[in-house]
Amino acid sequence: MLLPAVELRGLTKLYREGESERAVLRDVSATLWLGEIAVLVGRSGSGKSTLLNLISGIDRPTAGTILVNGTDLTNLDERARTLFRREHIGFIFQFFNLVPLLTVEENLLLPLELLGRADAEGRARARELLDRVGLADRARAYPDRLSGGEQQRVAVARALVHDPVLVLADEPTGNLDAETAKVVLSLLDQLVREMGKTVVMATHSSEVVGAADRVFLIQHGQLTEQWGAGDGR
Amino acid sequence: MSAGLWRASLRHLARRPGQIGLSVLGIALGVAVALAVGLATGSARRAFELATEAVTGRATHQIVGGPTGLSEDVYRMLRLDLGVQRAAPVVALDVAAPDHPGRVFQLLGVDPFAEAPFRPHFGSDDPLGTVAALVTRPGAIVMSGPTARALGLAPGATLTIRVAGARHPLTLVGTVEPADPLSTQALESVLVTDIATAQELAGNKGRLSRIDLIIGFRPADRALLERIRRALPPGVELARAGAQAEATASMTAAFTLNLRALSLLALVVGMFLIYNTMTFSVVQRRALLGTLRALGVTRGEVFTLVTVEALALGAVGTLLGIGLGLALAQGLLHLVTRTINDLYFALSVREVWLTPGAVLEAAGLGLGTTVLAALAPAREATGIRPREALVRSRLEAASRRAAPRAALAGLALGAVGVLALVPRGPVWGFVGLFAILMGAALMTPLAVAVLLRALDRPIARAGGLLGRMAARAITAAPSRTGVAIAALMIAVSATIGVGVMIASFREAVLRWLEGTLRADVYVAPPSLVGSRPDATLDPALVQRLATAPGVAAAGTARGVTVASARGPVHVVAIGMAAGHAPGFAFKRGRPEAVWPQVDKGAVIVSEPFAYRRHVGVGDRVRLRTREGEQAFPIAGIFYDYGSSAGVVMMSRATYERHWADRGVSSLALYAAPGVDLERLIAELRARAAAGPVPADVLIRSNRALREASLAIFDRTFAVTRVLRFLIVVVAFVGVLSALMALALERVRELGLQRALGLTPGQVWGVITAQTGLMGLVAGLLAIPVGVLLAGVLVFVINRRSFGWTMPIDVHPAILLQGLLLAVAAALLAGAVPAARMARASPVEALRDE
Repeated sequence: MLLPAVELRGLTKLYREGESERAVLRDVSATLWLGEIAVLVGRSGSGKSTLLNLISGIDRPTAGTILVNGTDLTNLDERARTLFRREHIGFIFQFFNLVPLLTVEENLLLPLELLGRADAEGRARARELLDRVGLADRARAYPDRLSGGEQQRVAVARALVHDPVLVLADEPTGNLDAETAKVVLSLLDQLVREMGKTVVMATHSSEVVGAADRVFLIQHGQLTEQWGAGDGR
Repeated sequence: MSAGLWRASLRHLARRPGQIGLSVLGIALGVAVALAVGLATGSARRAFELATEAVTGRATHQIVGGPTGLSEDVYRMLRLDLGVQRAAPVVALDVAAPDHPGRVFQLLGVDPFAEAPFRPHFGSDDPLGTVAALVTRPGAIVMSGPTARALGLAPGATLTIRVAGARHPLTLVGTVEPADPLSTQALESVLVTDIATAQELAGNKGRLSRIDLIIGFRPADRALLERIRRALPPGVELARAGAQAEATASMTAAFTLNLRALSLLALVVGMFLIYNTMTFSVVQRRALLGTLRALGVTRGEVFTLVTVEALALGAVGTLLGIGLGLALAQGLLHLVTRTINDLYFALSVREVWLTPGAVLEAAGLGLGTTVLAALAPAREATGIRPREALVRSRLEAASRRAAPRAALAGLALGAVGVLALVPRGPVWGFVGLFAILMGAALMTPLAVAVLLRALDRPIARAGGLLGRMAARAITAAPSRTGVAIAALMIAVSATIGVGVMIASFREAVLRWLEGTLRADVYVAPPSLVGSRPDATLDPALVQRLATAPGVAAAGTARGVTVASARGPVHVVAIGMAAGHAPGFAFKRGRPEAVWPQVDKGAVIVSEPFAYRRHVGVGDRVRLRTREGEQAFPIAGIFYDYGSSAGVVMMSRATYERHWADRGVSSLALYAAPGVDLERLIAELRARAAAGPVPADVLIRSNRALREASLAIFDRTFAVTRVLRFLIVVVAFVGVLSALMALALERVRELGLQRALGLTPGQVWGVITAQTGLMGLVAGLLAIPVGVLLAGVLVFVINRRSFGWTMPIDVHPAILLQGLLLAVAAALLAGAVPAARMARASPVEALRDE
């Protein structure tokens, strides 16, 4: 049976621009199922990142509700949303955003430490993930010693290390060359499918779109499913 | 909180040793100055209390008389007629030890047989038989063992003392070994001799300074006190022990408060430094903090992280500052003690009295200041939104938008500061002063923007596009430059303010000395209190000098301290030289109306006295005379910058009538027309040396005395000057830190400029021009703020602390000095970052692009 991982109901997000208001999202509804990879496409400024921010609880909608794993984020205050994000969501950024002051291994341990799970088991999991992304030998290196592709592989591992329900990725290959992008994407695809994670990715890349179970277009504040599992893909 | 966060935080700090080091240094200096001033003034006070304790002993009450003390008959009456058992006669006087410069002792003449219950240090057990030696050998003294050893004196040795200009050899017959460090300090400056020796040295045979009593609190004791009170002759009073000492010690309260306030200013400037460092560290880590927030780090955790980082810096700085403060205190103690000796009372302090309270206070100030300074950056850090890729330019735009609001808040704070000047009391004055300074600091970013916009064209004309780049680098980064300029502005305005105040004061003193000192030659014994001759000249010497050939007229002055219901009062009795009216400048009263009244028994009071006691012309001053308390009408108020405690002046005839004291403290001699002054002075010196006891008196020309007075004046401000310098040092560290931060941030921008073809010399020039401009702007802003500060110091603080008024004298030279200081400090601070940036390789700088 399909279980909902993310449910968006009547989601609206308005931004005030001087005297007027601009709707980035208007009355958007959708359900993403557990274990599927959804991709958001659309022009720059169409609202992809805004939607990711709303799903992660970083931002709040003007109207509507967002349920992640059954929890209504719109009912939570800022602190509760932060704690929810800490536990249930993993993030991958375009510019990697590793903590430059921590080694590769420490970067992976950070989400676990925040959750109080950096025990022997957690450490073993971090090492295993590092091994899976092919960087076990760089565990003690600082991020600035790594190439872009390596840094993004660390970011993928960091997004998964604490076993979140949902992984959000904003242009995860946007800063990588085509070859490296392919490697990172295949790694991400392989890992999330193995672990049964739900992934929402915002992208311009056709490579990324190719990895999706479902693709949504954001345009004029509306979210339209372009094609999905039901299309017989 | 996660250990990973702490690790990241620690490594962040460790990667910026220069920046962090400067910040720590700034807070360390601030704490050191505050602690050192606290310790120095506290030690002076403590030394005074201990010395008082040592000589007051366990007495509960004291019987005291007028300036010449009280007759021995009173003691006899107490013991024999009233049967008071626990009573001890005391003759006390301050003496100098000319062979040990800087040493001042309190010579205590006691009756060894009556002493035991009073001063257990002396005479309770007497293994060496010193009591017998004291009584049987004239000129015998006992002193504390550690002091004797420090002076290299063994029993049998001679210690020469100077009293009223005459040297007297005394013989050390024994030492007292203090039981603990406290007693060591208490006894450090006490010499004990027998009553007769002390009376002879004081030139006061048959008179006592006081009689100490131990009287309990039972009803019978109260009845005894009442009996004693009734039996005392007029002019002699029964007082609680220590009352006099308390009143004396309280004279330095305003002086101490002024030093404390100035020392806190160093800490405030240090606060800017911490604020700058923490803001910089937050700005630098915006992306990182945003990522952490996206990863689930809460606002509270970010706040804690930044605050704890600041606290760590504050803790290290405070620890260093405490160490540094202890060392600095030793130096300041010397200056503070000298000022107290110049202005208030004779005091000898050798060691800094370290109390846990003072150290805790310094720690609290250091950490409290740090936390206060870190609050705003910490709050800013919590405001960073997760994943917010806020670029630097947006932050600076926000800072620029905030500038008018900050200026408005500064204006409001300044207004509150002005309102705080209204209530009486120097503390409110300082509250107002600090509020005005903080208000000015808040207005700085807007003022900088306005000033640089106004200077844009001249700068472009002088420096071309590169000059414009330098100026715009300042306005482009107000979050950096604003705080640094504000810190420097505060420090320089403090320098200007204090400088103008001292110069105005000096000018007023100079005019006052010119008006007051009218005689040609002045004669006075060397005094223990620099600004106040109150020792007694040998009457025979007075006669010899006043009648010397070439002397046309002689005036006398007698300075004594007399008791009043409201504490001790310094009274000066003047015997006018025939045909020479004293040159007083009156604040209230016309000379032609005042002097006839003074001749009839009225008094004139100095401005500080009138201010402190809230009295005016027509009011009365009540003083204890030998006939009991008498009220003296006030005929005028005169300007006097010699004593902040205030002076009551009366005619010699009035004084002699009420106190029966014929002593003379100083002589003012007028030369006959045509007499060569140098020759006259040589003649007077020869006459002084010709007497049976060679007199060690100071015979000075009008000019020499004026110069000596000004030297004392300058000396009393030495400690202020040191503090002013230290505040500038802290500000300098602040500017250095801000410039280093700016240079670090601009690595890429400067790298780009190098890639575009600027030579290292041009890059250096741009940065140096920028720092010079920052200094110039800080200096320009410091001028009005400094003058305002001077106004508050002269018209509010000085008046409320010391009762003095004076016109303000704004010397352009002081303003120019302030401006140059600001530019020089900024240029000096910018030298290292400029050189470093100029050397930076463009490839390195642009590597991250």
